[in-house]
Amino acid sequence: MTLQRGTTRVLNIVGILLFLCAWELGGRWLGADKLAPPSLVVPAFIDLLRQGEMLKELATSVRQMLAGFGLACAVGMPLGIAMGRVRAVDLAATPWVSMFVVTSVASLVPLFILLFGTGFAFRVAVVFIASVWYIVLTTYNGARTIDPGLVAVARSFGASPLQMSAKVVLPALYPYLFAGARIGLIHAIRAMVLAEMFVILGFGGLVHQTGLQADTAPLISLLIALMILSVGATWLLRVFGEYVSPGYEQRLKGS
Amino acid sequence: MSTLPSPKPAERGANVAVRSPPPFGAWGRDRALQAASLLVGLILWEAIASQLSTFVLPPPSNVLAKFFDLAFTAQLLAALGNALQHMALGFGLALLVAIPLGILMGRIPWLNAMLDPVVTALYAIPTIAFVPFFIIWFGLFFPSRVALVFAMAVIDMLIVVIAGARDLRPEMLSAGRSFGATRLQLATKVMFPAMMPFLLTACRIGLARAINGMITAELFFAAVNLGALMKMSSRTFDSAGLLTVIVLIALVGLLGQYLIGLLESRLLHWKLRK
Repeated sequence: MTLQRGTTRVLNIVGILLFLCAWELGGRWLGADKLAPPSLVVPAFIDLLRQGEMLKELATSVRQMLAGFGLACAVGMPLGIAMGRVRAVDLAATPWVSMFVVTSVASLVPLFILLFGTGFAFRVAVVFIASVWYIVLTTYNGARTIDPGLVAVARSFGASPLQMSAKVVLPALYPYLFAGARIGLIHAIRAMVLAEMFVILGFGGLVHQTGLQADTAPLISLLIALMILSVGATWLLRVFGEYVSPGYEQRLKGS
Repeated sequence: MSTLPSPKPAERGANVAVRSPPPFGAWGRDRALQAASLLVGLILWEAIASQLSTFVLPPPSNVLAKFFDLAFTAQLLAALGNALQHMALGFGLALLVAIPLGILMGRIPWLNAMLDPVVTALYAIPTIAFVPFFIIWFGLFFPSRVALVFAMAVIDMLIVVIAGARDLRPEMLSAGRSFGATRLQLATKVMFPAMMPFLLTACRIGLARAINGMITAELFFAAVNLGALMKMSSRTFDSAGLLTVIVLIALVGLLGQYLIGLLESRLLHWKLRK
């Protein structure tokens, strides 16, 4: 039923090669104006790297995205913990959270433009609103399922509320905080591109502009840059999580 | 003592950590608290909004008035009816692809090993960035909208279905096998019911993504239906109108989650719930 590690690696590579072959054939058949094949995308990608505009826009966009994402973590994690540990907060916040989490971010974008304009505040706000609820919900799930035995033991050994938070609740929550951050980050990157494509600024704006060209090779290059950004950021968070709280992924239960 | 099975965390917790059993009427008190929270939030919003220009942040009473403005509501519902068409078609197509492909990938290890890197790579790219491609391939109208809804829903669903199909307990399959189940019976009587919770979770996530895709498509391709209403409202700085559309879409989302919840309680009555 399960494959050996080496076999899996080989099959991974075979899968990627088959995908590239299919894409190459499809691209040659459709033409570069419909779908540029990898043999044209690679030079286009290197070209864009050399020109530097792509990386410059990406760096600016990522900085703004991180501002929104950091704010979402700073608000979402405490709120999630409070909801998970204090019943009154849970009851008061749940209707709002469940309403906001189903609100589609794209529909909020036109309203946010009226509220914030199209600059820094607007993009931070869109990223914030897109990622915060996922961080809240993941943290909440973690905080709710902390083993009551742990809390009881700490209490009977006379832990103060501060000690309880720092030594019991927070370490038990690490896995969920990192999982929440990872899910939130994916939504933050999605929101970043969404907001920028809507107002045709930054990296998303570049994607929009490039999409108007007759050649799709640069467009695909931009998508690949986004893919590398997203995979890289998720990987960094995972490494950081592993460093702070070794084996945290194994301790996540069903979320 | 040592022969007793150790209690599960929840049972242990029931003995030591919970202060008192919930008194009679706890349910009513909880609902009252939730209603109070909504009410306080709305009053706060009304108070803040009355200090600002209604062009910036309309008070909730204006939004409510919009819902009772018959001309606007008629327009709104007609637009929603049209929007639901590409949502339903895109979501249906995503279901048709994600469920069989997810089951195959979850059950066939070599297939999963081959497709997994591609799925991961596609998942990492924000779907919205494919909009220029959809315009090139499908134009600005209905087919593009369906394609965007499909693309937004399909990969998120696929990942859940794969996880569900892979995590089937092998004992269940071997039990079925030793009772002489044929492959078809094994698939329909053991695997499918065992995967049902995951399939419904996939539907829940997929539907939320599809509704998101529904309005995204109407804003990013040619502005039609709800998207056109939003564009028109924002051109006239009618933020109450914008908010009305947003609330309507959120209500549709809540309704969708509620319907899937109903389906869950109907189909998963065998599964112990909290």
